[in-house]
Amino acid sequence: MNRDRSGLQRLETTIGEVLRFGTITSSTMFAIGLVMTVVGYQPAVARLLLATGLVILLATPPARVVVSVIEYVRERDWTFVLLTGIVLLALAGSVVAAYF
Amino acid sequence: MNLLNPLTAPLALIIFGAGAVAGALGVALGLGGGIFLVPFLTLVLGFPLKSAAAISLATVIATSSAVTAQRAGNQLINLRVGMVLEAATTMGSLLGGITAQLVAESVLRRLFGVVAIAVAVVVLGRVNKRNVILDPTVDPGRLGGRFYEEESHAIVSYRVKRLPLALFASFIAGNVSSLLGIGGGIIKVPVLNAWCGMPLRAAAATSALMIGVTATGGAIIYYGRGDLQPLLAAPAVLGVQLGSWAGARLTYGASVKWLKVLMATILVIVAVLMFLRSNQ
Repeated sequence: MNRDRSGLQRLETTIGEVLRFGTITSSTMFAIGLVMTVVGYQPAVARLLLATGLVILLATPPARVVVSVIEYVRERDWTFVLLTGIVLLALAGSVVAAYF
Repeated sequence: MNLLNPLTAPLALIIFGAGAVAGALGVALGLGGGIFLVPFLTLVLGFPLKSAAAISLATVIATSSAVTAQRAGNQLINLRVGMVLEAATTMGSLLGGITAQLVAESVLRRLFGVVAIAVAVVVLGRVNKRNVILDPTVDPGRLGGRFYEEESHAIVSYRVKRLPLALFASFIAGNVSSLLGIGGGIIKVPVLNAWCGMPLRAAAATSALMIGVTATGGAIIYYGRGDLQPLLAAPAVLGVQLGSWAGARLTYGASVKWLKVLMATILVIVAVLMFLRSNQ
């Protein structure tokens, strides 16, 4: 039980770090890309920044799920490996639905 | 309106401002901003509902990530419940994202109208069951949780009941999220609080965690189909983040009763407009 709780605490901290990194990186790219677009400076670079920011934004929650799968495998908590695996499978389904 | 036109500074500012207002209102009412942002983009700026929903989903992801990063570590978020229910929300959002590609704009508008009315009802009559067990030695079970409750200045615990109902509500929430561009917390939080035994704040924090991955399931489909444009999503995301940040400071401790009545009224007007304009 104690080991269980400390694992959960560690996972929560790691998840927080992943989400913070994704939020800050994508927002910074959005802000710089938008200012560049509005003032008309280096439009190609601005477009690239905005597109990359959006991809990072979209990749952040799935990254958080991947981190969770890894933690649950480490704890050999197979129920939660299965559940988080279903989430990843559904997201993969979205990618398939988006492009095929 | 041609969305592929180069973004002009005024349009970027308008989207940014709308995002800020929607984000602040969302925080004040305990909703996401999507329920206000989507109607603004589609009814005022004339975007197709699919584009509006896609932009709004991007803001939902940003809000979820920012809020959860801030809360991580304080035990309000129930990671286990979140991950069980995410299996249902992401399946729902996958199905909703596919459905959105197949149904007509008019159908989506009517559906938004129905959901706006439902949200207005929830905003006015939100239940707040405490659901807490004050004895901290009680085992909350595999899915239950324990956190520091400010009201009673103590560590409290709770048990989670009726998991199948929570899963069903999460599936529907995921579905509606993808179809209409809202987070879906408005469906999950009342169910988790009223019927599944979770304290309101734990239910809200857990829902905030879930809506990120849920919205991503829908947003990926819109992105791949060309309905999610970085130039339009960027100002909306930045606006909503500024708005939620400011809203969390402005409304701290303030009474929001009049605001609830005002927003419920606006939602009813939104619903009427969505129905009236669904045939155009």
